[in-house]
Amino acid sequence: MARYGMALDYKSCINCKACESACKEENGILIGADKHRIWVGVPEMEGIFPDLSIGSSSYEPSQCQQCDNAPCQEVCPTNATYYDDNGVVRVNPEQCILCTYCMQACPYDARYIDDRTMTVDKCNFCSDTRLINGETTTACQATCPTKVRIFGDLDDPNSEISQVLRDREHYSLKTHLGTKPKLYYLT
Amino acid sequence: MNLNNLLPYKKQTLKSFFSFEFTTANVAMFLLSIALVTAMFYGIGVYLIEGHHAYGVTRQHAWGLLIAMYVFFVVSSTGLCIMSSIGHVFNIEAFKIIGKRAIVGAIIMILVGFSVIAFEIGHPVRMVIYNILTPGLTSAIWWMGTLYGMYLFFIILEFFFLNNNNHKYSTIFGLAGLVVGLAAHSNLGAVFGFLVARPFTNGPFFPLYFILSAMVTGSYLLFLMYGWRYKMKFPPEVETFLYTLAKVLGLLLAVLIFFEIWRMLTAIYGNMPERADVAMHTLSSANFLVGEVLLGMLIPFAIIIYSKGKAIKTLVYASITGMVGIFWMRYDLVHDTQLAHMMPLKIKEYAQTTPFVEYTPTLVEWMISLGALGLAVMMYYAADKFFDLDHKVEELH
Repeated sequence: MARYGMALDYKSCINCKACESACKEENGILIGADKHRIWVGVPEMEGIFPDLSIGSSSYEPSQCQQCDNAPCQEVCPTNATYYDDNGVVRVNPEQCILCTYCMQACPYDARYIDDRTMTVDKCNFCSDTRLINGETTTACQATCPTKVRIFGDLDDPNSEISQVLRDREHYSLKTHLGTKPKLYYLT
Repeated sequence: MNLNNLLPYKKQTLKSFFSFEFTTANVAMFLLSIALVTAMFYGIGVYLIEGHHAYGVTRQHAWGLLIAMYVFFVVSSTGLCIMSSIGHVFNIEAFKIIGKRAIVGAIIMILVGFSVIAFEIGHPVRMVIYNILTPGLTSAIWWMGTLYGMYLFFIILEFFFLNNNNHKYSTIFGLAGLVVGLAAHSNLGAVFGFLVARPFTNGPFFPLYFILSAMVTGSYLLFLMYGWRYKMKFPPEVETFLYTLAKVLGLLLAVLIFFEIWRMLTAIYGNMPERADVAMHTLSSANFLVGEVLLGMLIPFAIIIYSKGKAIKTLVYASITGMVGIFWMRYDLVHDTQLAHMMPLKIKEYAQTTPFVEYTPTLVEWMISLGALGLAVMMYYAADKFFDLDHKVEELH
């Protein structure tokens, strides 16, 4: 079994939103559910016009951080949220009671209510549509025109993601909470 | 089998059930209850058609007024249970009169709380099934729900035996209800206290505070129930009880004020993000200052201090402001927990994000939430009609 993660070369992101579109298409996200399953964070540029800091204008693509120690899983009263064999945090809609406690617990605001199933859903690294078929890609990663996203098995020392995490400095979000995210931002 | 042998109750005809003394207060309460319950059913109807879209909740603010109201009702239930146990479990003389009335109130409050949460939880039936089939033992909600179920079972048995004058078993189930109720209620506090992502709420404060504020709520409710029952003309043993209750309430409020001061000071100190800013926002809000502090704590506290606990009639009225304050405590608890943005970057490009997550309850939420108060009053009326909730002076000693 693999342990999937994603590295984001976020400084290459051009905020074209192809990842958001691909994710919506792949996972049947309803119209209107913008920036729900995946999004591109846009920080305020630093400085005062016209002396704006170009270096501060990078985007921050984000989604579920696929924590190894996921607060959303810990708080679920019916174990609807679970870790699958690939270490992906997933939701079984049959068991979700829509108490939305996971939405309170997630430090990344990565969960949303899917109006099709009336359960809480989240990014699952395209487990239902790709990983299950043996593909080791995600829709957002495959479509990215500037190759921001590197997806792969963190336990495989020869995978591209393992190599890039060895070679380049990176950070993760809110690590002080002990969530052990598997999304890595390359600096 | 004759039901009356098993559970003694007062036989009622339809006419006797609906007949009451035509005083202004009674008629006003009757009309208010009808209006509130009608509003509740209308709100439920809208919810059944539109689902959560009928509420003002958003993905950033997924818990709204109904959660606050659920907390309000279950806190009231636990409070009544704790206060009643002082008498018939711990044998404190002055509190012995309140057994049945307080326990029936506790049963009603938790049932109404469950009926409110049923319209907030998306799949309540599924909840019952998977609560048993795939229990999430690390979840405070699982423990809270399961323990509250047991608590309800125990306090129903407690009432059953109280009603049958079986003091041995009513004490046993009273103690069981108290212990399980305390566990359930502190777990409700832990639902908020366990949120590591939300520094303002995270920590041991809420499990402890919930027990304390439950006792305050129970005291306010007892003042209201006895004020209404005796229309301010209290018999001597009730007067003695209310004097004692006033002193206990004064002490509880003093501790509550002390707790709140230190909660806020520790929250602000050091200017920690998502904690100090949320605390400052809370401290400058009318909900907190007027609702929680003035109505919920200071007015009743000042009356107790000023009158040395003797102004029990004024305290009945002050308990109304107290309960309004308690409502705002629950509302603020839910709202303030969700104030901080978890991921502020993604709101909208080229637009300033709001400093805090905003939430305004919809009319449907108000209808269901406040309507539930009418349901509680109606259930209490029915219980009062069917059961003899008054104490018997000869049994007190």
